[in-house]
Formats: sequence, C-alpha cells, structure tokens
Amino acid sequence: MRLLFEGVGHAFDGLEVLEGIDLAVAAGETLAILGPSGCGKSTLLAIAGGLLRPARGRVRLAGTPPEGCLNPLTYVFQDFALLPWRTVAGNVALALEAALDRRQRRERVAEVLRLTGLSDFAGAYPRQLSGGMRQRVGIARALAVRPAVLLMDEPLSALDAQTRELLLEEFLALWRRARTTTLYVTHNLDEALRIADRICVLSRRPGRIRGILEVPLPVAERTAPGHAAVIGELRAELWRMIADEVRAADRELAGAAAAHE
Amino acid sequence: MSEPVREVPFRGGGFAPRRIRRLAPPFFLLLLLLWEGAVRAGTVSALLLPPPSAILEALYELAASGDLWRHLEASLQRLVLGWALGTAAGLLLGLAIGISSLGRTLGIPLVAALFPIPKIAMLPLFILWFGIGEPSKVATIALGSFFPTVINAYAGIDAVPRSLVRMGQSFGLSHRAVILKILLPGALPGILAGARISSSIALVLLLAAEMIGAQYGIGALVLQAGNLMRTDRLMAGVVVLSLLGLAVSALIGLAERRLLAWR
Amino acid sequence: MRKPLRGALLALLLAALPLLPAKAQKITIAALTFVSSSPLFIAQDKGYYAEEGLEVEFSFFRAAQPVAVAIASGDADFGVTAFTAGFYNLAGQGALKVIGAQSREEPGFDFSGYFVSNQAYEAGFTSPEKFPGRSLGMTQYGSSFHLMIGMLADRLGFPLSEVKLVPLQSVPNMIAAVKSGQVDSIILPAHIIKALEAKGNGRIVGWVHQYTPYQLGGLFTSTRNVQERREVVEKFVRAYQRAATEYHEAFNQLDAQGRRVFGEKAEALIPIIQKYTKAKPQSIYNGAPYIDPLGRLDVGSVYDQIAWFKKQGLVDEKVDPAEILDLSFIEGHFNIPE
Repeated sequence: MRLLFEGVGHAFDGLEVLEGIDLAVAAGETLAILGPSGCGKSTLLAIAGGLLRPARGRVRLAGTPPEGCLNPLTYVFQDFALLPWRTVAGNVALALEAALDRRQRRERVAEVLRLTGLSDFAGAYPRQLSGGMRQRVGIARALAVRPAVLLMDEPLSALDAQTRELLLEEFLALWRRARTTTLYVTHNLDEALRIADRICVLSRRPGRIRGILEVPLPVAERTAPGHAAVIGELRAELWRMIADEVRAADRELAGAAAAHE
Repeated sequence: MSEPVREVPFRGGGFAPRRIRRLAPPFFLLLLLLWEGAVRAGTVSALLLPPPSAILEALYELAASGDLWRHLEASLQRLVLGWALGTAAGLLLGLAIGISSLGRTLGIPLVAALFPIPKIAMLPLFILWFGIGEPSKVATIALGSFFPTVINAYAGIDAVPRSLVRMGQSFGLSHRAVILKILLPGALPGILAGARISSSIALVLLLAAEMIGAQYGIGALVLQAGNLMRTDRLMAGVVVLSLLGLAVSALIGLAERRLLAWR
Repeated sequence: MRKPLRGALLALLLAALPLLPAKAQKITIAALTFVSSSPLFIAQDKGYYAEEGLEVEFSFFRAAQPVAVAIASGDADFGVTAFTAGFYNLAGQGALKVIGAQSREEPGFDFSGYFVSNQAYEAGFTSPEKFPGRSLGMTQYGSSFHLMIGMLADRLGFPLSEVKLVPLQSVPNMIAAVKSGQVDSIILPAHIIKALEAKGNGRIVGWVHQYTPYQLGGLFTSTRNVQERREVVEKFVRAYQRAATEYHEAFNQLDAQGRRVFGEKAEALIPIIQKYTKAKPQSIYNGAPYIDPLGRLDVGSVYDQIAWFKKQGLVDEKVDPAEILDLSFIEGHFNIPE
C-alpha cells in the first residue's frame, strides 16, 4: 500500500514542529526519514499512524491491504513498548486476540516467533530479555498482524552498536522478502543508508523537507567493498544536507536547556 | 632508596543490611522469656502487663470454650464483606479517575476532601443510617477500605507508561481492551499495595465498628475484656488481631507473588 | 502459685508509692458527679472531714471504671461507684477493699427503672415480664445494667439468652438508641427516664427495686490504706456516715402511704448536691437513690452478684468476695453469709 502525506503541518502549544510535508511512500518502498533531534520526525510518524491528529493537511492510505492483514499501519517502537506482565508469546498475541481464535492465534504467534528466532523464548518475560531480544519481540508483534505499512520509530537506537548491526542484518533479509511498505525514522546516517530506498531529510524545527536522496544500490550490495565509494559519497552528501541543521539544533537545544536551569 | 610501597587500604563495604537467617525467632523467644520473667519476679505488675503464659492461658480458655471461633467468625464476616465492598467501589472510582477527565475533575477533590475524615467519627451517623446491626459495621469498614483503594488504583493507572497505551491504540485495541489488557494489569502492583493498606485500615476499624452493638467479634472481645479489667483476655484478643493482620498480609503477599511474578 | 506472686507484686507496687507523712492526713477522694455520691459532697461541704482532721481533695472522673483504677493504683484513697464485673475483677487482684455501701435498690425507692421505646410499648412490651424476645441496650457486658437484667431473668424465670443484649458503650448512646427505637429497652436511673417519659420518648414499665432489690454500689479504699492507715479509714468512715445519715433523713423518707416525701432537710441539702453535680433540683429529687444511713452493705447481695458474674464467665473464678470485703469498719452489715 502507498502512504500519502498532503500538506501536513503540526504545532504543539503554538510551537510549530512540522510544516508543509508533501510526501508519497510508494508500495513496497522503504523510506527513511532523517533529521536532527527535535525536527518532528516522531511527530510525523505519529500522524502517519493515526495516533496524532495533524493541525494541517492529511494522510491517506492507498491500495489494498495484504491478505490476512489485521492492522494496516503498524508501529515498531524505539522503547519496544512491551507489556512487562505478558510473556513473549503473550505480547505477540496481544493484537491478535480480538480477531483470531485461540488456534489461529497460536499458529500465527509460533510462525512469527520462528521468523524472528524467538521460538525458544516464547514463555519468557520481557524483564528477562536483552534489549536486542526485546526489539525482536517488538518486530515479531508487528509482523504478526501482517501490516500494510510498517512505521518504525528509531527501532534500533536504544540498542548498543553490535546488537544494532546484528538486528539490521537479520531483518534486512526479512523485510526484503516481505516487501512491506516501510517508513523508517532515524537520526543515524549509516542506518538510513543501509536500509532505505530513499532518504528524506528534514530540516530542524519546524520540520520541512530539505531534500530527498535516492540510494541507487540494491540493499544486499550496500556493504560490498566495491560500493564503499558510492556509499561514502552519498553519506557525504547527506551530511552536507544535514550538518548545518544538526549544528543549529545542537546550539538551540543547549540554549533551551540553559534557559530551563 | 627504594620508593615506598604499601597496600591499598580498603574503604568500601557496609551500608548493605541483610537479614541474618534464624536470628529473629530466638530473639523473640528471648523477649517473651524476659517479659515472663519480669512479671514473675514482680518487676512488672501482672495487672498492668499480663505475662505471656497468662495470655496463652486466656487464649486457650477462649478457644476451648468455643468463644474464640464465634468472635473470629463474626469479625471475619464483617472484614471480608466490608473490605470487599469498599475495595470494589474504590476500584470503580479509581478507574474513573484514572481514565476519564470528568472522573478526574470531580473525583480527586472529592477524595481529597473526604479521605482525611476519621471514619470512627462517622460511626454514630452510620448507626442512624444503617441501624445498630451489621450494616453499620460493614459500612464503617467499607468506607475505611474505599479511599486507599481509590488513591492507589488511580495512582497505579497513572503509573502505567502512556507509551503502552499508545502501543495498544496503534494495534487497534478497543477502548475496553486498552483498559482490561493494559491499564488494569499495569495498575495491579499499585492496586495490591492499596489492598495492603486498606486491609490494615479495615482491621483497625473493626475495633471501632464492634464498639456498638456487637455481641461477638474480636474487637468486641478486646473492648469487653478492657471493661472487665481482664487484661490477660484483652491481650489475648490483641494477639488474635495481630495474627489476623499477619494472615491478611501473608495472603496479599501470596497474591503479589502469584499475580506479579513478571516483576 | 499465683497468689503469693500477686502479694509480692502488690507489695512492690505499694512500696513504689511515695510514703505520705502520717500526721498530714491528706486524702484524695475519687468521685463521679452523681447524686448517688452525695454523702461524699455533704461531708466535705459541712466540714465533717475537717472535724475528723482530714484534708480532702476531690478528683473527678467521668466513668466508674477509672474511679476503681485510681484507688487500686493509689492515685486516690476513697471512692464510691456501682458494682460491675470489671470492678470485681480489679478488686479480686487484691489492691482494693469494699468497706461500706453506696446506694441500694430498696423497695419503695425508685432508682433504676426499665424504660421501653414507644414502638416496643405499642407492640405489647408493657411490663418487665415481656422482656423475652426483646432487645435491651446497655453500656457493656459486665456492667450493672447487664447484672440487673440478669437478676431480673433469674427472678422471673426466663433464660437471659431470650433477651437480645446490645452493648452501646455509653449512656448517651443508650438514650439515643431507645429514642430512635434501635433497641426496645434500656435500664437507667429515675431522673433520666422520668425526663425521657415526660418528653414522650418512651415508657417506664417498672423499677428494679420492685423485682430485684440489691446492693447497687459500694464505698471502697485501697488495701494499703486498710493495712497501714487504719485510723484514717476510720475517720473517713465516721464522716461519711454522718453525711449519709443526713442524706438519708432528707431523701429516703416515706409517708404513711409509702410515698416518698422530701422536706426542709432535703431543701437544705439541694444546694450542696447541686454544687457538685450541676443537676437541677427536680432531677436531684427524681434521681436520689436509697443510701444506707450508716453505709451498711447488703453483703449477701455482693456474694450473689459475684456468683452471677462468675456464672456468666465475666468475673474470674479466683475472685473471692470474702477477700474483697472488709466488714470491720462499719457495724451492722446485712445478710452476712455464714
């Protein structure tokens, strides 16, 4: 399915955070939203999933959902948002309880746990899991509803670098196979360059589209040594687009923090 | 001249109290023996502080005559009924405050205004409303259990991370499902902590409730013994109350271990 | 094995008290501001204590129990209150002795009466014989009210279990409960229930003296006083008897038809009683109990009461009436058991 932003803008208590976002996420495309802290990336994602009503503009969803889809717009959260009193299987089953009977539920849970390598942890509580395992549960939960669009809110930024690398590798394979339309919010340039078909750079507050960069390499080939130069160039270009914004945001936030003290 | 070398002095440790196993029981036994000894030696008057042996004897007499069970049965009935009513009503209001703006706007000032009222002061009024029989006693205990439940229930709901609620909504959970599957289980630790408080308040109020028109009940037994200057029986009643408190606390502990195993 | 222990305890308790100089002869009287305590007040006001060389200080209490506790603990020397199970249990510990009488339920002298709510009266509760199946409000188990209904049950031959006893802790609670009909009946002194009846709050259906005359209360002192300050106790008793005689002549007279009459002597004592009790004259006349002029006890009644309380399990079996009473200060006590 396609996701269409039309003139989306938003403000919190009179403070403009997003302005004039016109963006189309194509079917099967992975679009990364990249921007400095406080540029409204997460706000945009909340609006995309219908968790926040935009002050201006609208978001539309076009196309037919995949077969067996229970929740077209499905999030993967930065803080995992797992219910600590439910086991891994219980967390994955949460969104299935209204629509599927016990048997169907058990089958689907078992399937996504297998896909995400969690089968051995079905009975474990989140407290007993590492951060990487917890985010695997978050992803399994999202896959279980057969989403039409995945909305990923910095899903790897709470993890250490090695775990992040591990999960990236594991799930790039998974995403490529499913070809689910994905909106991937991140502030990590390398992450964006690894997974995205296109990268949309936002300016700092109020967030506007600064530019959209296409990554011309297939995802599987991006870490190949022969493409290092191409990736390096893209990275430099991204950094040019974003560096001023990051610098300004950094000063701005520091100023704000100082004003609060 | 060689350079001076010395071992690094140890500066850490301490400030980590832990329970020493099997020390508490002998300590309590010693305390009881000291008490018994002090009374027998005449250091303390048996009228002012009956010795443990006399208290045990009084307990035995109460149990043997069957009175103890009649008293316990009457008290337990009042406790269970009053506490259950107060807790159920408290959970409802706590939930209303926890999820609805109207509930919060009207409920919090109501609770703030009524919570500090000494429930014992309300007893004469309850007797006028509900009569001298069981309803006024149950109402006193229910009112005492109500407020701590309300406060802990809504504080428990407030403590559930909003990110979990958003998660539930993002997966299309209904309003009802968000309450039943996210807010209430998340508030359970707070609700159980409230149950701990409300049950001990209920025990305290039991005594007050049984002042008026109670033939049986542990509170009535204690009051009666006081009036009869039977200090051994009074202390026996206090021991039963304390055991009752321990039993209730153990039950809640069990519930916590069962329901909050995920912590 | 317990008794010598108690004795030792008591000795220790008493030794701990500051020793009073013998010649000062100061005494403290623990009292309730009830009309039944009148002789205590009259003796003070008319200087009978002073004539005996006693310097009296009053210590007033709001309930009977603390009066007895104050004597037992040595905080006061003399007191008068109604007999209760609690009193007997305390006296049984050995710290206090009953040496004389306070008031008595005496035929012809209305004091405690059976008072019935309007609802119960209309439903046929018109005499004490109708107690079975009704409820009675009282302060507590083991109170004098409990004793009075128990004696009535024995006298009329119905099991006490047929009366629903409702402990209400206080007299105001009892009054409120009978007014509102929450209990069918109460037993209270004449001045209270006559006023209640006059206001239409219920009906008096009989008097305790008509069914179970008995020794309502006593005059008591600490065992230590009996043992160590015998002459002080004797002086106090003399003063008390003078005042009791005066009270008796003023308030306990009957005419030829057996009706109570109050004359000038009563009028003369009213201001004294009023001063201490703050009661209105009419209330004093209504609530003046029978007090033996010489403070003589109905000893048999005390034995009976203790036996009844023991039967109810309210007084410790170890309590011995002979040990509680010291009959050596006043001559002519009645009904002394063999």
